[in-house]
Amino acid sequence: MTLTSRRLLTVAADRLRSVRPELAAELDLSTLEALLAAKSRVATGGADTPADGALVVCVVGRPALSVLVRETCRFASSVPYERARPWQRAFTRTVFLAGQPGNLRDRFTFAHVSGDGSVGWLGPAAEQDTEALRRLLKVFHGDREPPAWAPVTVTVPPPPGKSPSLRRPRHRDLYVATARVAFSTLLVQVNHLLAEAVLDGLIAPGDRLTLRSVPWLTGLASPFAALRVDEDTDSPHGLRAFAGLTEET
Amino acid sequence: MSRSVLLAPVTVTPSKPLTPSHLKGLLWADVMYRATAQVADVTFRYSHTTYHPTEQTLGFWEFLDRTRGDTDYTTLSESQIGELYVRYRAEGHPQAAEDLYPYAQAVEEHGFVHPASERVLRLWSAHYARLGLHDPGLLGHQPPELDLEEMVEELVASGMGLDQRELGGRVYLDATRFGLPLRQIMSAEGRPNYLACALRELLPLAARHDELVLLYDNELAPDYRLLAQVLGRQGAAVHHVPIGRVPIDGRVASARHGGWHEHTADTLVRDLAAEHTPEALRLGMRLYFIAVLGPGQRESFRPDLLRKHVSRAERLVARVPEAAGTRPSVDTLGRYRRGHTHVDPYRLTCSLLGRAAAPSLSLLSSVYL
Repeated sequence: MTLTSRRLLTVAADRLRSVRPELAAELDLSTLEALLAAKSRVATGGADTPADGALVVCVVGRPALSVLVRETCRFASSVPYERARPWQRAFTRTVFLAGQPGNLRDRFTFAHVSGDGSVGWLGPAAEQDTEALRRLLKVFHGDREPPAWAPVTVTVPPPPGKSPSLRRPRHRDLYVATARVAFSTLLVQVNHLLAEAVLDGLIAPGDRLTLRSVPWLTGLASPFAALRVDEDTDSPHGLRAFAGLTEET
Repeated sequence: MSRSVLLAPVTVTPSKPLTPSHLKGLLWADVMYRATAQVADVTFRYSHTTYHPTEQTLGFWEFLDRTRGDTDYTTLSESQIGELYVRYRAEGHPQAAEDLYPYAQAVEEHGFVHPASERVLRLWSAHYARLGLHDPGLLGHQPPELDLEEMVEELVASGMGLDQRELGGRVYLDATRFGLPLRQIMSAEGRPNYLACALRELLPLAARHDELVLLYDNELAPDYRLLAQVLGRQGAAVHHVPIGRVPIDGRVASARHGGWHEHTADTLVRDLAAEHTPEALRLGMRLYFIAVLGPGQRESFRPDLLRKHVSRAERLVARVPEAAGTRPSVDTLGRYRRGHTHVDPYRLTCSLLGRAAAPSLSLLSSVYL
C-alpha cells in the first residue's frame, strides 16, 4: 500500500490503540493535531500513567548499524514476559546514553551487551534502578546523517540459555530513511520498530533481516508488516515513516 | 638518581589582570618549584600555547577582531583588556566553529598569539620579574607534544576515551570504570575544551616522570580528579594540590565578571614596591599568600595583612646575615615532603613565621627572593 499522509495517521493511531486499548475510546485520533495531543497526554502520564518498571537504558559506544539492529532484536527477545508487558505499554521507552559498556560492567548489571562491547542494555526496570548510571553518563548525541549503505543481512541470534524459536526462520527487509535523519533519531526510531516487532512476535531468533537505506520511504511498493511513524517537523504532513519492516520475503 | 617531578599548575587565561586568586596560585606553584628543585629533578610545565585553542581564548580573539577591527593593543593596560574580556563574556553572541577556525588553525600552524593576549603576557612578564617568579616561558611558543587526533587515539586505545564524532557525536574522557562521570572534552565539530588541551600536553609528559603534581583551583576539582585518574595510568604517582581562591569582601568571583578594581597585581605590586625593598616584597607576598591564607578559601583578601607581612619580611631579611645557617635551610627541606618528592610550600612557608625562625640566606635566595 502506498504511503500517504492518511495512511501514516492511521498507522500512528493504530499503534496508540493497540498499545493502550483501554484509552482508545477516550482519545481523539482522527486528525494529526488530535493524535499529537493524545500522544503527549499519554507520554506525560496525563492519561493513566503506565506501571513503573518500564524504562530501558541503552549505553551506546560506537556500534555499526548492523550490530545495533541484530543486538536490539536479541535484547528485546531476552526480556521476560512480566517485564515486557509494562515496557510495551510504555511504548518501549528507552533512554540512549553515550558510554562504553565494557567500562561499566563491574558496577552495573547489564541485561545484554553486544559481543563487540559497542552497545549494551539495562532493564526494563524502574527509573530509580538506573538513576546512578544515568547520572554517570551523558545523553547520546549523534547529529550526523548516516551515509547510505549497501544492503546487509543479519541473523537474529537466540538469547543465551534459550532454545531457538520453534517456528520456521523468516526473512524480512528493514527499510530505514536516511535523508534529514540524524543518527540519534535513526537510533530511536529503529529501536522502537524492532523492539515492538520482537514483542509482537514479528521477529524471532533465527530470523534474518536485510537492512536497506533509502532517503525517504515514500514510493516503496513493499507491503509492510510494521511501520515506524513519528512526528517530523520537516515533513509537509507533520508525520513521517522513519523505518519499515516488510512482510516475509 | 633523584626522582623526576613534573609540576603542572593550571594556567591563567591571558585576557585580564592578575587578581589575588591568580597571585596565590602563581606564588604557591613558584615556591613548590624552587624548593623542590633543591632536592629533586623538577620540570615546571606552564605553557600558554597549550591552552590557546580553548574556546574562551579563541572566542575572545574573534570577538576583539569582529567588534574592534584593527586596534593598537600595545598601549592598553591589563585592566583595559580585561574590561573587553568582560564585555565578550557578557555578549553571549554564538560563535560557530567556522568563526573560530582561522584562529585555531593559526595557533596550531605557526604559534599565533593575538596582540591583545600578547600585550597581557608582556605585562605579566614584568610582574613575574618584580615578584621573583620563575618565568616558565610566558612569551615563548611551547606547543604540546601530541596533536588533538593523536591524543584522542591514545585515549581511545587505553579504553579511557570515547570518540563518537563519526556519528555526529562528541569526544569524551571515560573514567566511568572508576565511578567518575563521563566528561566531554571535544565537540562534534572538533573544538577542544581545556581538559583536551591538558591531555595533549600531559599524557606524554606523565609517562616520563616519577611524580606528577597537579596544582589547580578548587572549583576545577572534579575535572582534575578525572585527569589524575588518566595520567596515573601512565605510571607517574599523581598528587593533587587544590588551591582555594581568595575571596574579596567575602565573595569568590570569577575574573570573567570583572570587578577587580584596585586589587590587581599591577596595583598591589606598584604600591608595595614604593615603600619596601624588592626582597621584602617577594618574601612578604609569599608569606601572606601561602602561609597566612593557606590552602583553603575562608579568609577574604586583607590588604592591611599583606602590608604587615611585607614589613615583617623586611625585618626577617634584615636579620639573615647574623642568623645564617639556622632553620629552616636548604638542608632541612626533606622535612616538608611528607611521603612525596615535591616540597609542600604551605608547611615550608609557615615555618618562616615561627618565633624562632631564622631562615638561611641560601634558602631565602633560592626559594623566596
